[in-house]
Amino acid sequence: MTLALSGARRRSEERPPQAPCRLAALGLVTALGRGPEETWPRLLAGDQSRLRVRGDLVPGKSLVVGEVTGPLPAIPQRLRRFACRNNALTLAALEPLEPAIAELVRSAGRTRVGVVLGSSTSGVGDAEVAIRHRRETGALATAFHYEQLEFGGAARFAAELLGLAGPCYTLSTACSSGARALASARSLLALGLCDAVVAGATDSLCGLTTNGFGALQLVSDEVANPCSANRKGLTLGEGSAIFLATREAGGIQLRGVGESSDAHHMSAPDPDGRGAESAMRGALADAGLAPEAIAYLNLHGTGTALNDAVECAAVARVFPAPPPSSSTKPLVGHALGAAGALEAAFCWLVLREARGGSLELPPHAWDGRRDPALPDLPFAAKGARAPAGPVMTNSFGFGGNNCTLVLEGGPA
Amino acid sequence: MIAVTLQRWSAWAPGRASAEAWRGWCAEPAPLEGEGEPAARFLPPLLRRRCGPLARIMLQAAFDCCAAGELARVRTVFASRHGNINQSIELLEHLAAREPLSPARFSHSVHNAQAGLFSIAAANRQASSSVAAMEDTFGCGFLEALCHLEREPDRGVLLVMGEVPLAPTFAALLDERPASYALALLLARGGEGTPLAFDLEAAEPNGAPAPWPDALEFLRWLHAREPRLRLGSGARRFAFQRL
Repeated sequence: MTLALSGARRRSEERPPQAPCRLAALGLVTALGRGPEETWPRLLAGDQSRLRVRGDLVPGKSLVVGEVTGPLPAIPQRLRRFACRNNALTLAALEPLEPAIAELVRSAGRTRVGVVLGSSTSGVGDAEVAIRHRRETGALATAFHYEQLEFGGAARFAAELLGLAGPCYTLSTACSSGARALASARSLLALGLCDAVVAGATDSLCGLTTNGFGALQLVSDEVANPCSANRKGLTLGEGSAIFLATREAGGIQLRGVGESSDAHHMSAPDPDGRGAESAMRGALADAGLAPEAIAYLNLHGTGTALNDAVECAAVARVFPAPPPSSSTKPLVGHALGAAGALEAAFCWLVLREARGGSLELPPHAWDGRRDPALPDLPFAAKGARAPAGPVMTNSFGFGGNNCTLVLEGGPA
Repeated sequence: MIAVTLQRWSAWAPGRASAEAWRGWCAEPAPLEGEGEPAARFLPPLLRRRCGPLARIMLQAAFDCCAAGELARVRTVFASRHGNINQSIELLEHLAAREPLSPARFSHSVHNAQAGLFSIAAANRQASSSVAAMEDTFGCGFLEALCHLEREPDRGVLLVMGEVPLAPTFAALLDERPASYALALLLARGGEGTPLAFDLEAAEPNGAPAPWPDALEFLRWLHAREPRLRLGSGARRFAFQRL
């Protein structure tokens, strides 16, 4: 079934065809649920009922968060130096993929399967406990190991769990980490260094990020309300989305990557939005697509005053007629380093569930109060559909680090 | 095997700033100092105040490695095992004491702070990634630089690897000599420079760490006669060869 080309007007002269990067399987855990099957109907319904309020993260404040509830799988004893909530979330996402990865290891060899994960937290939540323990007793908790805290531990845990010996590293570029991990997976496949890459991202709720974003006055005391005239900031979240990326044609492909730096400020986007704009344009050029080919845009859409203003204006400049758009952050929270991978996962679900030449779109969950200062984007309502075609997702991070992805294809 | 050209390098460590000083160190390596940072006078004062020791060291090596016209043109990869974890630990101490966090300190504690500060200082709007891979961080940083060359073959990539000593409580958990250093490599497909081949090799972990940080082992190899270099002690080796 070639959904891939329908509706897409190609710019054939731009560059030679990309090496394939098939996003062959997905493991997923967020506040919306576990695995693609549980997540999909709740994503389409715009289900915010699983967000919860926590009073223990920021002193004297109750926060709405997108928390993964219920027990997480236990880290195997042999990997206890990696035991932390962040890696337990990774394990929850990876477990269903383990048979497929084991099969790849048998056929390709363990040195041909790589791991690239994004994270902005790694196990810093567990380090908070260790440091509190040291304050009280003078020594770090004995269960604490540096491998839980260091960024590199996030990818190494997955490699050791799965018995992989291919290249293995963590990318941490704040809120674009997860998108970057997928970009690097595609490059490792194209370079011929891997036959498959376990690629995605995990972030976990913790005191450091909730208090840090709180100190920056970017956190809303209500559920995030992106692009609304009433928006007050972001809702934080956590989760893990991990793909098995292979060098096969067909299925759902990572078609386009666009990257840029703002070169402006460490924690605020460039108000002129040149970085956001060039990331989107770069992804389109890389995919060889014209703007009108994009069937759906998953916005970075954090719900902060500045992000939404900058992003909507940049979208309006790139797209003469912007595609149906939504931010899925009001459903799962902003999972920071994992956000790019989670939103690629939601785009993957949209393509996988294509039926009869049309896509069902995740709704933009907000109060519907348009901000007159923002360009009028076609925000997807509940039940919205679009003719099948490639989809785009934006991730813009601290340090002005931007990465936009284009996914294309359909059910295999 | 992947071919790549090393167009230029620069390195910085306390007491060792010039190429000549590094050639001397490569011939007769001696333990590196733990503490010290460059003046980084190329940074505007406001930006310089926001740079901690690691940012100053990495940005110094980065600026020394690029001609003026290249600073804004290159893609960048910043690699560090520990990155700004010392700053994160400080923030965790504040949290444990139930003290409010400084917003500026929080936003400069992210792993890509060096990348962000470089992009601002160099007015560089190109792609940038920040890598961590435990004891394989230099080799994986090199690999990530090759990924950027794969995505945009006509643009050079500046790889900057750097560390400062980890806070003592955490350093005690690791078997690592404390050192402050940064190495910057300007890599490209072709052009003037040293043509190299890179490859990954499978290996049994031997748990034997090299005496010097991988990045500086690489620098020593550049100045030596051996045709090949293998870095890494875990499940993978990073193999370099002169072409």
